[in-house]
Amino acid sequence: MYYITAASTISHQPTFRNKSFSKNISTLAAGSVLIRPDYKELISSDMLRRMSEIIRMSISCAMDCFHQAEIKQPDAIVVGTGLGCLFDTEKFLASIITIKQGLIPPTSFIQSTHNTIAGQISLLLGNHNYNMTHTQNTISFEHAVLDACLNLDEGKENVLVGGVDEFIRPLNNIANQLGYKNIQFTSGSSFFVLSKMKNDKCKTQIRSAITFTFIESFTDCLTRYLGEIKLDKKEIDLVLFSFSDEDAKVSIEKYFSETVLLNYQNYSGTYFANSAFAVHLAIDILEAGDFKMNGSPTELVKVSRILICNNLNPKNLGLTIVESIEA
Amino acid sequence: MSVYITGIGIISAIGFDVQENYFSLKEKKSGIEKIKLLPFENDILAGEVKLSNDELIRKFNLKHSPYSRTSLLGIAAATEAWGNNFLTDELRTGMVSATSVGGMDNTENYYRQVLENENADVSLILTHDSGSTTEKIARHLKITGYINTLSTACSSSANAIMLGARLIEQNKLDRVLVGGSDSLTRFTIKGFNSLMIYDNQWCKPFDENRNGLNLGEGAAFLLLENESSIRITKNKIYCRISGWHNAADAFHQTASSPDGKGATLAMKQAIEKAGIASRDISYINAHGTGTKNNDASESTAMKNIFENNIPAFSSTKAFTGHTLAAAGAIEAVYSVLAIMNDVVFPNINFTQPITETKLVPQTEFKKINNVNSVLSNSFGFGGNNTSLVFTKN
Repeated sequence: MYYITAASTISHQPTFRNKSFSKNISTLAAGSVLIRPDYKELISSDMLRRMSEIIRMSISCAMDCFHQAEIKQPDAIVVGTGLGCLFDTEKFLASIITIKQGLIPPTSFIQSTHNTIAGQISLLLGNHNYNMTHTQNTISFEHAVLDACLNLDEGKENVLVGGVDEFIRPLNNIANQLGYKNIQFTSGSSFFVLSKMKNDKCKTQIRSAITFTFIESFTDCLTRYLGEIKLDKKEIDLVLFSFSDEDAKVSIEKYFSETVLLNYQNYSGTYFANSAFAVHLAIDILEAGDFKMNGSPTELVKVSRILICNNLNPKNLGLTIVESIEA
Repeated sequence: MSVYITGIGIISAIGFDVQENYFSLKEKKSGIEKIKLLPFENDILAGEVKLSNDELIRKFNLKHSPYSRTSLLGIAAATEAWGNNFLTDELRTGMVSATSVGGMDNTENYYRQVLENENADVSLILTHDSGSTTEKIARHLKITGYINTLSTACSSSANAIMLGARLIEQNKLDRVLVGGSDSLTRFTIKGFNSLMIYDNQWCKPFDENRNGLNLGEGAAFLLLENESSIRITKNKIYCRISGWHNAADAFHQTASSPDGKGATLAMKQAIEKAGIASRDISYINAHGTGTKNNDASESTAMKNIFENNIPAFSSTKAFTGHTLAAAGAIEAVYSVLAIMNDVVFPNINFTQPITETKLVPQTEFKKINNVNSVLSNSFGFGGNNTSLVFTKN
């Protein structure tokens, strides 16, 4: 088992340092914005100036996690990000195309690599441990979780794992040109500490996670996975899911016909690592013990086990099970 | 549980396959020349793969465009490493690749069209994300299931090899194709130029008068298998990967620490993991980019570990150029070749040792007795340091 000893999210919802947020959030309104904490309280101002949003969000969540888990140094830092440091990538790309002569400032190049996020966290902590960055489009976060679990299986005690992506404006144009309609792109960052040992405050755990690529049948993957971990689908109290084609939605609703389902995209908005938001949402619901969200038609239900079913990209599937420790 | 290497594939500036690469290393034939294929960049010395995208597409009979050059190079190397292996339900097969630029070549073209108000071809952007690069390679070989991409700058594919080895060691997979791919792009050439560490002459790793790196492009893959996999595939064992370690330098976003802290930790722990002593290392394929900072820091780290008994070492980057995310895998293939042939590879363009450390790399291709264990270093931006140990079976 992989105990969750800290969870922290910055998103378009009031998630940061706001326990029981799941009771009070509604589906995202059009034109919603990222709800930023006062970064200056968390990061020194001279560092802050050079940091893009993705780094600011990540460092703030990471520091919040260390505080919650009462650890100073994690034994590993693992990040999943679908598109990485988009702001600096776009900035440097624009520079090399538009600056025809003379020097191009290197800062945005330096900060454009995907591992700037995990690297900056290690730098800030003076942490010399395992430092990894996974980028497998919509299942980057699940891959990071799998690596974090592998680290714990190898004997590490506390692992920081996060899923983060940032919105930049050109994404809207690209989506329009590609013919995608009604996508609300957002930014978000969720970090967790997974531990071998549980502390007094720890109430939830990750039972397991898995990824599938080039899936043919969504339901075959689910059946295979639940079989492997010896879990009956009736033992799942709530399914948080994302999808991008209606067929997938229909098949998951059919497969879990007796389970409460919730499309977490309506709360997180769309970004590649938004299944990390769903994991935090699951933790928050499990800590409350029951579930009834604003705008959701369901009655109050007791919840002790949640499946996060990430099918944001129709060819990939990420599955994560989060449960109460007593479950 | 031992992790065996049973397949290798490579494409680089010094050859389109393993045999051609080995021949060039033996003949001291560098692939770094003035750029010919990449548009917009002239008078830059780089290690280009001397095949155009169209030639690669024809060679592998590919459809479903667009492809990024990173995918095309990856397909070339992965196809060679995979060889005649076939998929079977009996084996849990996966793939871990690595890239730093992904489809940046296509993104550059798309973005230039956008900024210059041309009719932009939006389909080009679909190859941008690093994960899609890996998916194209996996799709070509019809590998499904666990497909993952790591991106940790210049140590990326060393990390992919490490993750693959760990997945086998922890019994999550029976075999896994691991490696990495990166193509030359304006983004990275301009980037390293903006950092003032791009040498406009041939790079000179570990030389006192080194003045920066030359970029290169390429890809390499290795097939890792456990014992039960080999019982089914009957593949010949080339060697084992026996040690690995990743450590953060935690010193600076781009510069390496002067005391080589992260590099020292990576090498030390990788050797320990392999269950051998530092004196058992026969050859080190160093990271050796040719920048002032890396080579000084890496030399210090080697001295920290080996003190006055530093084994034969060389950087092969003056052959291939620095292939960024592909470098770890390309040099892993060279490390495997060193073990298979009992040879060490030359560090070309070297004349004068670094004053402070006085280390002299191996400058000739040489057959030596029993290359039993090889250490390969890959260090990247963000202070991401990885060392791998390969051992004769």
